[in-house]
Amino acid sequence: MLRSKKRVFWEALIVTVFIFLIGFLFGIYMERGNYNRISDYSTISEINLLDGMILIQLSENRETNCEFLKKENINFANRIYEEARLLEKYEESGKITESMKILHRKYNMLRTLSWVSNSNALEMCGNYDLVVYLYEYESEDLNVKATQSVWSRKLSDIKKKNEDMVLLPIAVNQELSSLNILLEKYSIEGLPAVIVNNNEVLYNVDNFNIN
Amino acid sequence: MEWLTVVYLIYTFIAFYFLFLFILTYFQNYKEIYETIKPKKNYSLSIVVPCYNESKNIRKNIEALLSSNYPGLKKIIVVDDCSTDNSYDVIESYAKKYPRVMVLQTPKNTGRAAGSKNYGVRFVKTELIGFSDADSFPRKDAISKMVGFFNDEKVGGVTSRVLVGNRKNTLSKIQSIEYKIISFTRKLLGFLDSIYVTNGPLSIYRKKAFDEVGGFDMKNLTEDIEITWNLVSKGWKIEMAIPSKVYSTVPEKFRGWFKQRIRWNVGGIQTIKKYHKKFFRCGMLGLFILPFFVLSWLLGIIGLFFLTYRLSRYLIVKYLVAKYSVAANVAILRFEDINLNPSILFLFGLLLFSLGFIFTLLALAHSKEKDYEKTKIHDMFIYSLFYLLMYPPLLIISFYKYLKKEDKW
Repeated sequence: MLRSKKRVFWEALIVTVFIFLIGFLFGIYMERGNYNRISDYSTISEINLLDGMILIQLSENRETNCEFLKKENINFANRIYEEARLLEKYEESGKITESMKILHRKYNMLRTLSWVSNSNALEMCGNYDLVVYLYEYESEDLNVKATQSVWSRKLSDIKKKNEDMVLLPIAVNQELSSLNILLEKYSIEGLPAVIVNNNEVLYNVDNFNIN
Repeated sequence: MEWLTVVYLIYTFIAFYFLFLFILTYFQNYKEIYETIKPKKNYSLSIVVPCYNESKNIRKNIEALLSSNYPGLKKIIVVDDCSTDNSYDVIESYAKKYPRVMVLQTPKNTGRAAGSKNYGVRFVKTELIGFSDADSFPRKDAISKMVGFFNDEKVGGVTSRVLVGNRKNTLSKIQSIEYKIISFTRKLLGFLDSIYVTNGPLSIYRKKAFDEVGGFDMKNLTEDIEITWNLVSKGWKIEMAIPSKVYSTVPEKFRGWFKQRIRWNVGGIQTIKKYHKKFFRCGMLGLFILPFFVLSWLLGIIGLFFLTYRLSRYLIVKYLVAKYSVAANVAILRFEDINLNPSILFLFGLLLFSLGFIFTLLALAHSKEKDYEKTKIHDMFIYSLFYLLMYPPLLIISFYKYLKKEDKW
């Protein structure tokens, strides 16, 4: 006979909570895995950067090996560029934990440090191009989002064509004091902005090129 | 966590809850879905048919009712609401030929089905009173499969399974899927004492219960929802007989469909407004029917908001990127920009959609019909991916119409 089975309301609640918990745990596990992967990369990059910086110190005291320095800097920049792309993708899919945002900050610091290191190398040797791309982190403005996306593609295309180029994309709104001082130094008026070889600041993507 | 993520998770949680509630209810009661009950006695029954400009359908409706194998069907009272076509003449010809058929005409056009139904009720002297829309055609065993539920003296109303009779184009074929799912879901709600509507095509009420609630609400556009809530609020039980089939005529053109859905939704809003003080009171009405009704609407509107917000932002950015890319001489689309790392929210959404689709398949598996061809897979996809998306915008338009007091039939 037909009868009321009202306990099913509680059963459905338990099943829903169970599924949600499993989903959450799986989500955290997934995001944690991504975090660990990027974290390992960042540690390696950090070691490499410090190694590079020591190399510059040593180069100042000995006969400068500019070709070696150039190769090291470009390799390092390429590596953290690729790692940053991966980090961005993981960040997009990370919805539960905030860990990726902290890593992003760390990467920004590494890139700022790399900017300083490259500036010294450039001053000493001047045998490659240094392009620093400054952009707004997690901008809500759709126009800024679109412009940044085009800048990023354009720079990526240019980088593919120019092997002797270091590309450093840096998110500026991450409260890094050292970065803020650098921004003041170059009198950055708006974002996105591109600094070429530390002497030219560009805001318009349309006619940007490096020969 | 972003606030949008939190809203999305709450949305998903509620949607999962309802889905699991239906799935569990199904597994706990699947053996009883097709159950019918043999009547203890031959309950006397009158069927009232409201009719307005239905000369095309009324013959078929009366003939369907006349062919009923239920021996207790004493009267078929067809109430013409001052039609401007020849409906009255058609009904009268049947009344002359069959003593069981009675023809009535309202003194003036009432403008609503509730008007002619209430008018017809005045002439009913039986224990049970049924109603059937003029454009609907009950199977000959439909009534006899319903009356047994009245053995339980707490049962105030029994409703039937409405199926689509005219499956001529895509819109009507998709509605046939929708009607099957609605019927299946309603039966499951029956196991929870939470049926929220006794449909117009064929429903039967205990006359005592019907009189207790004072008949149909003339001000309401969905008098069939209103009377059900009224009955439940007064402690009457509502049952559904899924083997009792009624074939109804659905709109084949978008305009007609749109008008019908707006009417249903505005009627629903009127009913919620009327019973809003019963929230968490009056048994299952306040504990489940009202919250379920309101939450399912809210889910639809929040879902639409999400989709519109995300999609519009996505499209605007894509448009701007394309525009700026052309100016900057950069490729518009690049494979390396595709993100193949799904977020947990995406996985939740995918699981919800998959479970919803399985539920749809389950409902269709329980709705096989000999006289009609099987539901085609592409119609199911149109239903799941596009048709259901029409609900929330319709709701928003209905709210607007309700607020503007546009409540014409």
